[in-house]
This record gives sequence, C-alpha cells and structure tokens, in this order.
Amino acid sequence: MKYWAILGIAARQALAARGGLLGRLLFFWALMTIFSQLWIAVGPEYAVNYTWYLGITELVALGVPQIYIGIEQDVRRGDIAYRIGRPISYVGSKIVEGAGEFAVRFAVLATFGMAGTWLLCGQLPAEPWSLAFAIPLAFMAGLLMLILQALIGLSAFWLQDAAPVYWIVQKLLFIFGGLMIPLSVYPGWLHDIADATPFSAMLYGCGRLVLDFDPALAVDTAWRLAAWAVLLLGLLILVYRRSLTALTVNGG
Amino acid sequence: MRNTLRFLKALLTTNLKASIALRGAFLMQATFMLLNNLIFFVMWWVFFDRFEEVRGWRVEDMLAMYGMVAASFGMFVVFGAGARDLTRVIIEGDLDSFLGQPKSPLLQVVCARSQASGWGDIVSGLLMIAWSGYMGVGAVVPALIGMTCGAVVLLASTVLIHCSAFWLGNNDDLNRAASEFLVLFSVYPKTVFSGALKFALFTILPAGFISFLPVETLRAPSFMGVAAVVGGAVLYAGLAVGVFRAGLRRYESGNRFGVRA
Amino acid sequence: MSIEVENLRKVFQVREGSRGLGGSLRGLIRPQRREVVAVDGLSFSIAAGERVAFVGPNGAGKSTTIKMLTGILHPTSGSIRVLGLEPSRERKQLAYKVGTVFGQRTQLWYHLPARDTFDLLRYVYDLDGDTYARRRDELVEMFAIGDLISKPVRQLSLGERMRCEIVASLLPAPSVLFLDEPTIGLDVTAKATLRDLIHQLSVRDGSTVLLTSHDTGDMERVCDRVIVINHGAPLLDEPVAELRTHYIRRKVVTLMTADATVEVDLPGVTTTSHVPHRTVLEVDVEQTPVEAVVQAAMRATRLRDLTVEDPPMEEIVQAIYAQAGSKP
Repeated sequence: MKYWAILGIAARQALAARGGLLGRLLFFWALMTIFSQLWIAVGPEYAVNYTWYLGITELVALGVPQIYIGIEQDVRRGDIAYRIGRPISYVGSKIVEGAGEFAVRFAVLATFGMAGTWLLCGQLPAEPWSLAFAIPLAFMAGLLMLILQALIGLSAFWLQDAAPVYWIVQKLLFIFGGLMIPLSVYPGWLHDIADATPFSAMLYGCGRLVLDFDPALAVDTAWRLAAWAVLLLGLLILVYRRSLTALTVNGG
Repeated sequence: MRNTLRFLKALLTTNLKASIALRGAFLMQATFMLLNNLIFFVMWWVFFDRFEEVRGWRVEDMLAMYGMVAASFGMFVVFGAGARDLTRVIIEGDLDSFLGQPKSPLLQVVCARSQASGWGDIVSGLLMIAWSGYMGVGAVVPALIGMTCGAVVLLASTVLIHCSAFWLGNNDDLNRAASEFLVLFSVYPKTVFSGALKFALFTILPAGFISFLPVETLRAPSFMGVAAVVGGAVLYAGLAVGVFRAGLRRYESGNRFGVRA
Repeated sequence: MSIEVENLRKVFQVREGSRGLGGSLRGLIRPQRREVVAVDGLSFSIAAGERVAFVGPNGAGKSTTIKMLTGILHPTSGSIRVLGLEPSRERKQLAYKVGTVFGQRTQLWYHLPARDTFDLLRYVYDLDGDTYARRRDELVEMFAIGDLISKPVRQLSLGERMRCEIVASLLPAPSVLFLDEPTIGLDVTAKATLRDLIHQLSVRDGSTVLLTSHDTGDMERVCDRVIVINHGAPLLDEPVAELRTHYIRRKVVTLMTADATVEVDLPGVTTTSHVPHRTVLEVDVEQTPVEAVVQAAMRATRLRDLTVEDPPMEEIVQAIYAQAGSKP
C-alpha cells in the first residue's frame, strides 16, 4: 500500500539528514542539562524523578517534525486544488510522511537522548519498567501532535500566516501538558482545565508514569490519546472538506 | 560619520516600512508573539507558585530576566533580523549588490529585514519587567541600556556564527540552530548553574552578556554594572565586525569554499 | 581613459569538499585544490563616453571581469584602473562614481514601492535633497516609470522592474555604468525599450557603459564597440560596425514576388526559405554582388517588395568562435 512507501521514503530521508538529527539531539541534551541542574537546586527528592519526567515529555515536544510548514506552503501555492476528490489522500499522506520522519527522530532521542538523561540523573527512574510504557505512549502522543499540525497547516486557508498559530498551540501544549512540571503539582483549577485538552494526555499522561508507576495509568493515557485522536481526525476531515469547497467556490 | 548615521536612520526607516507593508501578517505576528511569551511564562509562574524560591531566585527575578531577554531579542529581530540570513546571503553571492555600494555591507545585510514578531517580544518583555516590580525610577536608564546592549550582543553573536560560512561553506541549518542555542541558555536562573557551566556561559555562549549582566542593571543598577554591559556589547560588536571584514577579504579573493567560477 | 585593464588574470582555487560540518572541517585542514582560470590575460582601455559590449558564452569570464572592475573580486594578477582608482583597494570611493546593475540580482526592496528604495539610495550615496530630487524626477520621466514607482516592486513585471533597477543605479549620476546581463529574461519589446534608453542616456550624460551579455542584440543596439572573450581570454576587440564586414560576407535578400516562386541561379546564392510569393535568399557577396541578384530576380518576375539585410549577429559571433577554433 502506498502509505507504507511514503513512510519508508520519509524515514530514509530523515536518516540521511544527519546534521538535523544531531542538532536535535544536542538541543535535547542541552535542555536536560539545564533542567537537571534546576531540579537538583530545588531539592534532592525532585532531582531524579522530575528530570526523567522532563525526558519523557521532551520526546514529544522535540521529536515531532513541523509538518505544518510544508502544508502551509502547499496551501499557499494552490497545489491542494489538484487533489480534490480524495480528501483523505493529501492530508493523510502528509501525516504519514511526518510519521516517518518522526519515527527516526524519536528513535534517536529515545535511545541517545535517554542515555544522556540516565547519565545526568545517575540512575534510572524509581520504577525502571515505567519507561517501557512511557516511551511508546510518547510515540502515540507525537502522532496526535502531527494531526494537530495538519490542522494548523490548513489554517493557512483563512489566515495570513500559520506560524503564529503554531507558536500558540505549542505553548498551550507546554502549559496544559505540563512540559516541565507535572500537572499534579499545578493548582487544582489549572489541572482541571488542562485535562479538558488533549495536551494533558500527550505530555503529562506519559511522563507521570516515571514518577509513580501504575499500569492502570498507562491504560488510561492510552485510551485518552486514542479518543482525542479520533476526535481530532474527525475535525481534520471536516476542516479539510470545508477548505476545499472554499477553494472551488472562490477559485483559489 | 554624520553621513553614516543619516544613512543608518534611512535604512532602519525603510526596513520598518517594509515590515509594515504586509499589514495583516504584521499584526498577527506581533500579537501572537506577545501571547506566546505570556503563555509560556505561566510555566514559571506555576513553578514559583509551588516552590517559591530556588537558590535565592524568586518569580520576580525570573520575570525580570525573562522580560529583559525578551525585550533584547525583540529589538534584535525588529532592527537586525537580516543577520539570521547571513549564511544564505554569503553562499548565494547576494553580498555582491551590497559591495557595489559605498556603505557598509554588514549594516545593509543586517538591516535588510525586520521581523514583526519582535514587537510582540518587546511589549511582552516590558510588561514582564513592569510585573517584576524591579522597575524603580533609578533603574529605567540602566535597564534600557542593559536591554540595548543585550540586543547588540545577540546580534553580534548571530553574525559571528553565520560568518563561519565564509570559511566552512553552507551550514545554514546548523548556524541557525546554534543561534537558537544562544537564546536557550540565556533564559534560565543564573544561580542554578555550577562553576564550569557558568564560565562557558560567559565566554563561548555569551549568555552572561545577553541576560545575566543586563538583568543586574535592572535589579541592582550600578555604574559598574552598566559599564560591564556596555563593555561586553562593544567587545562583541567589535569582534563581529572584525570577523566579518576578515571573511569579506576572503570572499573578495573569490576563494570561498566550493566557489563556482 | 575611463577604464584601463592590463594583463588581467583571475585564477580560482576551488576547494573540493564533502558536505556537512565534518566535510567542511576536513576541507579546511586538508584541502583538495583545483585551479580554475576564469580570466586569462585580458587587456583593454575604454575612453570616457564609450559604450562597450563584453560578449561571450557562459563561463567565458564576463561576470568575473565585471566583478573585478567594481572591486567585488580581487584579481590574481594584472592591473585595473577605473576612473583613476584601483577597484580592489578603493572600492568604496569608486562605488560613489560607478553604477552597477546585475541582471539577476535586485537592489530594490521587494514589498515596498521603488520610490522608497530611491529615497534610501539618496543616503547611500550622500546626495543632497535638491540634487537627488532633480535627478530622480529626470530619470523617472526618461524611463517612463512615473506610475510604476508607487506600486510595490513585487507587483511589477520583470521589464518594469529592470527599468526601475537601472534608474536606481543611475541616481548618483555615475560616470561609469556596469551592466551584467541586464536584458536577461525580458521579452522582445522590453529588451528593445531598455536598450534604447541606456543608449540615449549614455549619449546625453557622456557616461561610459560596459555591458556584458550573451545576447548579441544588446551589443548591437546599445554599444559601439565589442570585446569578444572566450575561456577567459580575449578573441576580438572591434567597433561593432566592422564586425560584420570582417567576419561575414553574406547578405540576406528577401523577395516578395508576383509569381509564386522565383529562381535565381547564380554562384553563392542559396534559397534559405520559401513560401508562395516570398523567397529568402542568402547571398555570398564575394561571389555575386547583391546588385546582380536583384537584377536577375527582376528579369524573372515582377518584384512587389525587396529587403536587403545583414545576417543576424548570432551568426557573426558564431563565426568568430569558429574561427578561433573553439566551440561556445
């Protein structure tokens, strides 16, 4: 099936762009270094756990490629007009492409990035097996982020510039996902708001497993991610169809 | 000298005009960046709400530092965003049209672009500084100087990184990533870093001159503080100009890496 | 003398290297060098007010020479003097007096009207308000860009943009104008307009023009003298008019005839194209004078119209390359 072909090509391309991969890894290590120092300064009980927590959340935050840029460009160039009639195809292929690239970046971060985290912390998380659950869930979360990015890219149909939308969505991910600080530490009302968004499952849902491992939590996160994925995919299809009709009515 | 200043004024005016020419994009970028920075800071607000203080650093200090760096960064990209395109300009030979004119090519490249989002950075930075409570009357002038010097160091460091293109060819992605690192290391509480890292942050990555020293001009304004900040800015600016000139000599000899005859 | 070039040589040391930072660093420490001779012993002098075309195929060294004349590139050896200054050492001083237009580069700000770029250029060249305004208005009228300069440059066609581009470089009233492929990518009308304007301006202001091109039309319409170069070395340096007489002895005769066809059977005469009532002949004037061809045609049929032309300049230039034994 052609989607596998797209996935393969994207992955191979990402592997070839070694400079980019290295850059991302260095960035990851830099962030981990800074924050491990921060948590050590806050207190010994936080030093290990919260650093590992950040390691997991950063897998999602840093690993996902910015596919919205490519989609925005296609929208502006009017290339999308030629793909009317098979609405899933274009967006689907973009997401699959992104997944291919994401898979490679994720693999690099989940191995070398995590190895660096281990070095910084000097030990594995309290329950080492939590990683076996947290990491795959983080991958799932990344896929969800790709769907969000497709939506952002399509916003170019109505907005002058999609980049500012991305900035905001990314920051909302950081805040409502609890990038640096677990949501459990947030004021109650803020935690509640966060749970109403997909972001809480994407970051906190994965990261909390290394803090206090419970397989039930892993299942909870998995089903939340799946539910949000369905919802957002539905929204994506709707938005895509709407944008295409706008295109045919207005002639691009 | 006077001619150069008039030219600089005209150049900056033209740059800003071009930035506003696309009205919709300008407003969107500026406002969204403002929102972006404020939302991001919620993370630190939550942190200090829970932990109150880390090694003497409180939320007011974080606001002050973040605000100063945001304002500096905003000034940098509003007036000199062209610096970030320097690698591309060198590799594609676009320097030629600037070299044919009787004014500094470096200035012309640097001031060729203005990023509208920078205004959002500036406003959010000023808001955060106001919130920090550090802005006493006596701090206004030193802080403004500190902010400007921070912008100069950011600009100069970006130029320095991109000048590598004169000798090492097209590493545009890498250079851009390195420039991002600059800012990254500048926005974390200084008390958190241990000795060796701190040393690196004052030399290799000039975080010290981008955030740490400028913040002091706001928190505890002093003559020595301002002198240090200005000194750092002059040093980095001089270095950037010097390295650029050296690179230019190489460019003019036509022997840059992999040149097409 | 406006421009004096003697034994100009430019050798590029091209460092081959692999991509990426590792490759770059390796290339810096242990470089693999290759020498490329772009310009090889070029010598010429151009007097003030002359219009000279620099013609040659791609890679002949034209752009490299222009860059050396403006000081953007340093020569390997030889001497250059432009307006008494040495370009590589006195680049900024020279820049005040020299205008350059690179066909593929722009100095106009893309999202702004050309007028704004002009206003900025006033301060680049340190012109005082009155001089600038006068010169600008004069040029705007001459190049007929009055209604174009308040539109953002991105809304202009290539031809319109090139006119604004040239006006921009003429604002400081340069004594020497360097044009590097100024008509590239333009349609026929735009090319013609541009060429005439440049010619007129040079005549009026007495400015020297050095134009590089691989379009021989530029050469013909703008310049009086042509220097042909290939592989970095000069092949020829002659007035344009003499080029024809020295290198080609053919005329193109177009006959519009009352009869459907006409045959002129004389030595050196070939029919290059024929449609009913229109015959195009190529005549080798060394073998048969044009006069004889016309008389023969008139004896064979009634002539409705007659045109005698020189062959296209392309052919002439091809002939020059062929004579030099090199293929363009």
